[in-house]
Amino acid sequence: MPIDVASPEDPTDPLQPALVEGLARVVAVEGGVAWLEPEQTTSCGACASSGLCGSKGIGTSESWLERRRFPLTNAPGLVVGERVVVGVHERALLKASGTAYGFPLVVMLGAGAVAQWIAGSDGITMATMVVALGVGLVGARLGARWLGARGQLAPRFLRRASAGETCRID
Amino acid sequence: MQEYILLMVGAALVNNVILARFLGLCSFMGVTTRIDTAIGMGLATTFVITVSSMANWGVEHYLLVPYGLGYLRTVTFILVIAGAVQFTEMTVRKVSPPLFQMLGIYLPLITTNCAVLGVALLLVEGKMTFIAATLFAFASSLGYSLVMVIFAGLRERLALAEVPRLFAGPPIGFIVASLLALAFLGFSGISTS
Repeated sequence: MPIDVASPEDPTDPLQPALVEGLARVVAVEGGVAWLEPEQTTSCGACASSGLCGSKGIGTSESWLERRRFPLTNAPGLVVGERVVVGVHERALLKASGTAYGFPLVVMLGAGAVAQWIAGSDGITMATMVVALGVGLVGARLGARWLGARGQLAPRFLRRASAGETCRID
Repeated sequence: MQEYILLMVGAALVNNVILARFLGLCSFMGVTTRIDTAIGMGLATTFVITVSSMANWGVEHYLLVPYGLGYLRTVTFILVIAGAVQFTEMTVRKVSPPLFQMLGIYLPLITTNCAVLGVALLLVEGKMTFIAATLFAFASSLGYSLVMVIFAGLRERLALAEVPRLFAGPPIGFIVASLLALAFLGFSGISTS
């Protein structure tokens, strides 16, 4: 489902929640939908250089980026190759990472602590934690569905990126 | 119980992954421009460090030690970590594609984070039980996240400060990081006896 373009917001309005911005490049346009690929790739923020390496395969930055392509309603008339800035509310990013990583981890560690306390065996604790991780991921799925239904997981088009704009947006 | 609490405090604060062991410095400087992304990165790294350390503990105790393959430890651990990262990615993608896409835009790839391998190797050095190893890995990554968030907060404030042109950008960041490391040095005075 394509993501909508942002409604106009005043960035100077203190009552508006702050937006976390990210850069993406238009890789395809199909009808009224533009497909975008995020630019940020590594933990040290080396986005521009890694896009030039051209390597492709399992685990490379290119295959990693391909899997992260996302659709956006092409109301602003984007063309292939254009770089755009997309944004989400900062609380949405926290909720998303908490749902994807935090919740399964807490369930897994909680179950592990209980199993160790009751059984006191490494094997049983390990098996319990693996099962609990599965349960936590099911919970994460429900949480993500709830967030998605409220439209909090959808990045929005903010503006076209300027020529010198890099993935390190301060 | 007290033993586990001391282990966790030691891993998170006294021997902090970033400021005492100097691991994960790349993400420390690269992903700390905003508190929100630092928290997201911290959560993702916490998940990967904990899961991969659990897997590495199993590999060490059920494969490398019984078959005398200790010399393959580093290579094996790198493979296990890469597998854990791929597993995490695939799982999040299956669990919720919109969540996967959104985190992909705002959170960077964590495969190259040396803190993940460092913690796994420290577990072997410590000869810990499974639960102790898991808690050590979890606490180490919590310490990593804590420092990331503190440093991101400082950098957000620095962005508003008037810094001499010579020190603007990374130089003042490194100076602040060194002051933060000095502050964390104070935790080394905590007695665990």
